[in-house]
Amino acid sequence: MADAAGPIQEIELTVNGKAVARTVSSRQLLIYFLRDELGLRGPKIGCDTGHCGACTVSYDGKTIKSCMMLATQADGAEIETAEALASPGGDLSDLQESFRTHHALQCGYCTSGVLMSARFLLERNSSPTDQEVREGIRGNICRCTGYMNIVKAIQATGQEEVSA
Amino acid sequence: MLLAPVDYYRPDDLGGAISALGTPGARVLAGGQSLISILKLRAASVDLLVDISRLEELRGIDVRGDGSVHIGAGVTYDEMATSHELASVQPKLCHVAAETVDAQVRNRGTLGGNICHNDPINNFPPFVVAMGATLHARGPDGDRDIAADDFFTGYFTNTLRPDEILTGVTLPALDGRGVGFQEIEIGEAAARAVAVIGTENGAVSSAQVALGCLPVPTRLTAVEEALVGGEPTRENVAAATATAGEGIDPVGDADASREYRIAMAPVVAKRAVLEAIEQGGRRG
Repeated sequence: MADAAGPIQEIELTVNGKAVARTVSSRQLLIYFLRDELGLRGPKIGCDTGHCGACTVSYDGKTIKSCMMLATQADGAEIETAEALASPGGDLSDLQESFRTHHALQCGYCTSGVLMSARFLLERNSSPTDQEVREGIRGNICRCTGYMNIVKAIQATGQEEVSA
Repeated sequence: MLLAPVDYYRPDDLGGAISALGTPGARVLAGGQSLISILKLRAASVDLLVDISRLEELRGIDVRGDGSVHIGAGVTYDEMATSHELASVQPKLCHVAAETVDAQVRNRGTLGGNICHNDPINNFPPFVVAMGATLHARGPDGDRDIAADDFFTGYFTNTLRPDEILTGVTLPALDGRGVGFQEIEIGEAAARAVAVIGTENGAVSSAQVALGCLPVPTRLTAVEEALVGGEPTRENVAAATATAGEGIDPVGDADASREYRIAMAPVVAKRAVLEAIEQGGRRG
C-alpha cells in the first residue's frame, strides 16, 4: 500500500475473475488501486474528474467511472477491466476485432473505456441504432479519432451477433 | 487525484448508518457521483464517509394500488430508467432518469443523492417539487415526512439534520394528469421547468409548475392560478407562463448569465406546460 496516511480498510474483491485481498487507504480511488496496486493499465486516467470515461470499468456487471469511486467501495464486488475482454490466450473479442476492422481508434487512450461502455450497451441492446450507440458512449470522450468509426464498429459487432 | 485523509464505514443497516452519522464530521456517501468530486476539490471537510449505497432498506420501487409510487432513496437513475413498473405510472420520470448524464453515472447515482445534494443543475429537485412529492426521512428520533416544497433550503442545502437520512420519496398518483419536463441545455442546464397538468371538459383543471436551476426549486403559483380554468391552448399557456421569470433569483455563471436564466424561465415553463397538456391528452 503506497499511501500510508490516514485510515485504512481491508478489502476482498474479484478482479477479472481473480480473487484479490488487499489493505487500502480509505481515501484511495478505485482507478489508482487497479493501476498502481494491481498493475492493470487498461483503465486510464484521463481527466480524473469524472468527465472523460477513460477509467470506465465494469462493477457487478454495470459500467462505472473508477475515478468516481473509492477502492474500499469495491469490497465484495466483481470488477472487470478492458484486460478481461480478450481471451486468456490473447484472442481479441468480437468487439475488439470490430474496432480494429473499422479503424475505431487512433491514439487508443479512450479505447479501453469505450470498449467497456460498448460491451455494456450491446449486452442490453444487440442491434443499437446510431443514436442509441451515441447515447451509450456519451460518457466516453474521444479527442482524436472522432466517433464515426467507433459507432460503426459497435454497430457492426451487434449485427454480427444477430446474424450469427 | 488524492483525497484528504478520510475514514470509511459501511453499516449493515439504516440504524447503524444513523448512529454513525452522530459522529462529528460524518457525511453520507451514496452513489458518490457528486460527493467524490467535492472531496477531490477539497471543497468539503469530511472525516467519516458513511456508505449507505448497499442498504436494502433504501432500495426498491413500489407502485401502490392507487397509482402512487414509493421509490427508495438508494435507487439509481438506471434502475428508474429501466423499471417497467415505474414506467406504468410515471413514464416521464423514467425518461428523465434515462437522459441523466451518461450510462456510468446512471449506474451509480441515486435519486436520494440527487435530491439531497440539491445542485441547481440536478434534475430531480424540481421534479419532486412540481409533483408535490412527499420525502421520507429517518433519524435517531424516528421517521418524519417532509413535503418536497419544504425540503430545499438553498444552494446544495436541505432541511435534513446531520444525523437524518432521506429514505425514500412518494410520488402521488397522476390520475390522468400529464407531466412535462423541459430545459435549455447550455452547460448542464441554463433553465429547467417541470409541469403537472390536468385537463377536464376542455379546460385546465389542475396545474403544478416548478422551476429548477435555482438555489431552491420553486413552485410558480401565479402561473398555476393563471392556467387553471382556462382552455389549454398555446395562446393561453403562453400568456399564463409569461410571468415565470418574475421574482426568481438564479445565479449567473460561465454557462449562462443571471439575466439569460431569468429570460429563459417563461420559455421552459411554457414548453413544459404544453408538453404536459399533450402528454395528459395522449394518456386520457
